Amino acid sequence: MTKPIIALFPEASFGSALNCVGIAQELQRHGAVPVFLCHPGFNGVFAEYGFKEYQLPDTAPSQPQTEDTWQSFVTAHVAHFNQDPMAQLHSYVAPTWDAIVDTAIRAEDGLETLLKRIKPAGIVLDNVIMFPAIANAGVPWVRVVSCTETEIPDAHVPPYLSGMAAHDPARPAFEARYLEVTAPAHLRYNTFRGQRGLPPLAAGLFLEPSPYLNLLLAPTAIRHDRLVPLDERLFVFLEGCVREEAQFDPPPLPINEGPIVYMSFGSLGAIDTDLFARMIAVFATIPARFFVNVGGFLESYSQVPDNVYLGSWFPQPSIVSQADLFIHHGGNNSYCEAMYFGVPSLVMPYCWDGHDNGLRAQQTGTGAFLQRNDWTPEQLREVITALLGDTAMLAHLKTISEQMKATPGTHIAAQSILTVIS
Amino acid sequence: MPISRSNTRQNHLKLARQIIEFILEHDLSKGDHLPESVLSEACGVSRTPIRSALKLLEQKEIVQKREEGGFFLNLPPDALSADISSDLDDMEGSLAARILSDRAERRLSDVQSVSALVRRYGAPRSSVLNSLKILSSDGIVVQLPGRAWAFQPMLDTPNAIEESLAFRLTLEPQAILTPGFQVDSQKIGLMRQQMEEFLQRPDGKLSSSAFLRLDCAFHSFIAESSGNRFARGVLLAHQRLRLSTQKDHTIADFRLRQSLNEHLGILDSLERMQLQLAADQMVLHLRRSQIRKPQTVNRGILPLARGGSL
Repeated sequence: MTKPIIALFPEASFGSALNCVGIAQELQRHGAVPVFLCHPGFNGVFAEYGFKEYQLPDTAPSQPQTEDTWQSFVTAHVAHFNQDPMAQLHSYVAPTWDAIVDTAIRAEDGLETLLKRIKPAGIVLDNVIMFPAIANAGVPWVRVVSCTETEIPDAHVPPYLSGMAAHDPARPAFEARYLEVTAPAHLRYNTFRGQRGLPPLAAGLFLEPSPYLNLLLAPTAIRHDRLVPLDERLFVFLEGCVREEAQFDPPPLPINEGPIVYMSFGSLGAIDTDLFARMIAVFATIPARFFVNVGGFLESYSQVPDNVYLGSWFPQPSIVSQADLFIHHGGNNSYCEAMYFGVPSLVMPYCWDGHDNGLRAQQTGTGAFLQRNDWTPEQLREVITALLGDTAMLAHLKTISEQMKATPGTHIAAQSILTVIS
Repeated sequence: MPISRSNTRQNHLKLARQIIEFILEHDLSKGDHLPESVLSEACGVSRTPIRSALKLLEQKEIVQKREEGGFFLNLPPDALSADISSDLDDMEGSLAARILSDRAERRLSDVQSVSALVRRYGAPRSSVLNSLKILSSDGIVVQLPGRAWAFQPMLDTPNAIEESLAFRLTLEPQAILTPGFQVDSQKIGLMRQQMEEFLQRPDGKLSSSAFLRLDCAFHSFIAESSGNRFARGVLLAHQRLRLSTQKDHTIADFRLRQSLNEHLGILDSLERMQLQLAADQMVLHLRRSQIRKPQTVNRGILPLARGGSL
């Protein structure tokens, strides 16, 4: 019997890409052949883990990533990351949806051709938008929600990307504004769906639940009580999706004492080198060892303090497992990895679902939330010191970690996917 | 350049660290025998420097010399933590390694005075000067007119590693194709054995630093075998710089294995004297190593791709 080919299609972000790597590793162990459909610029990422890649034809006007490009991006957009979620709807969320719709439209023909060539037995889509070629491929498709659970709406779940509580009085205003700013992109997208034979989606939605299987990366500890529970036959919650990654041995630092703090704001977050420099100056005053992921901007730093180590990439699961605190931007993968290893989070969100996870960390006693840019050195020092000494939070996280490790999400995901395609 | 006493000491310290890694990787227990011949083979050096390195470890009470002959592990393996390596670093002669490590971790600026280094490390002026001389022999610092010393480019950032690979891609395949290329079969056998042993380790036990040593040894071997003296000199110097300064903890286990298998394939071709094939394999190997992770990707990249017109 030939092994079933499963095509995984994560969006162009490290969170979903590496989430899918974890699932693919487990699918492989179960005897399937996982392959990746990847956006241009992402080739090589999956091959490095031993998976075959099929690159989508170039779907966007290419723009070389020169230093000038990045500098202009920083100048134009970093300020938006300091806005509250309501203000970001206009400045960040709406144009991002516009661009996501563009990507879906441009990718369609190439994706259709690729799927005909690969002939997968099933497709795993970890994205925020439906690509009609997937729904029309004639094989079961699985939706992975690797963002927060708020992506699947419910009256008792906070509105997506809002950073607010479910019953916040400002909820109706946020939801109305969200629909308003996303309306042009949504109209364009529904028209495109119609051309490709798919029914339109309700306002504000760009991706329907799969009629086969939906996997949500939402550990029990942070899950919301829904007004309308999700159908258990179609929606499977995952307790974390941690991939197998290279081992990281923390190098000895000139000041090599104290707890380990790991900081990563994702590859996008690293562009704000001024913020990083301010934070590093505070780290120098705290008796702990700080390992900081500065992405592609290592050359922007000098005079690094003796208790700080900068890297352009860390094998995150390995370093988080050794850390006493994880400072991150609220990306769902990072947040779930912190809980998986029983490590408190200090969430400093930039955008998107980082806001939702910031509040959720605070609500569930799994971490603290701090506005990304608006803090004094004393405040940052205090919150880090408090988290490092919070034994009650640590005990709570230890229980969560044990629970998550007992039912590894990658294993559940692979089994569920294989059941659907068989 | 004649090998100074300090250089020899540095080499013994490096070997001592390699022996500790060997102990950890082979899950040895307290009391286990550490045969010089085995260590000599594993580290690819003769028994004399191994004995000196073992003596350094004996001074730190990590190993014990017994009357029945040979050295034995004197500590349980879980006591051989990073602190031990750091203890070794604290030994005489390791100041150069600390300066190098601080520079690679961006703690020291481009130009340094001896006085500033004396203050930072609390070391005598003569030790600092000696360390700078050791580093200058590897091309890591140069003395400027006056008393200042300037650090030279190192493989300490993704961009530097990328440039290094581009440079090697230009030269290494050509080094194989230059008339006079000649390999030492005995060395090939030794390297093959070391790579195969490494490949047998389970995932999660593949140490990046051990891989870097094997990788540098392999590429230095290619350089040494070249018939062109200038290609040989410049490539050997570059591999020394890689070994001393490259920090890259980013390589997934799959790629480490793939990379070593590519080395083995090149060695096969060299033994059969299929030099053109070996050069082509080298191009493939270096090109694969050039594939780096995208630097910035996220939902935020999408507005950027549209021309940044938010």
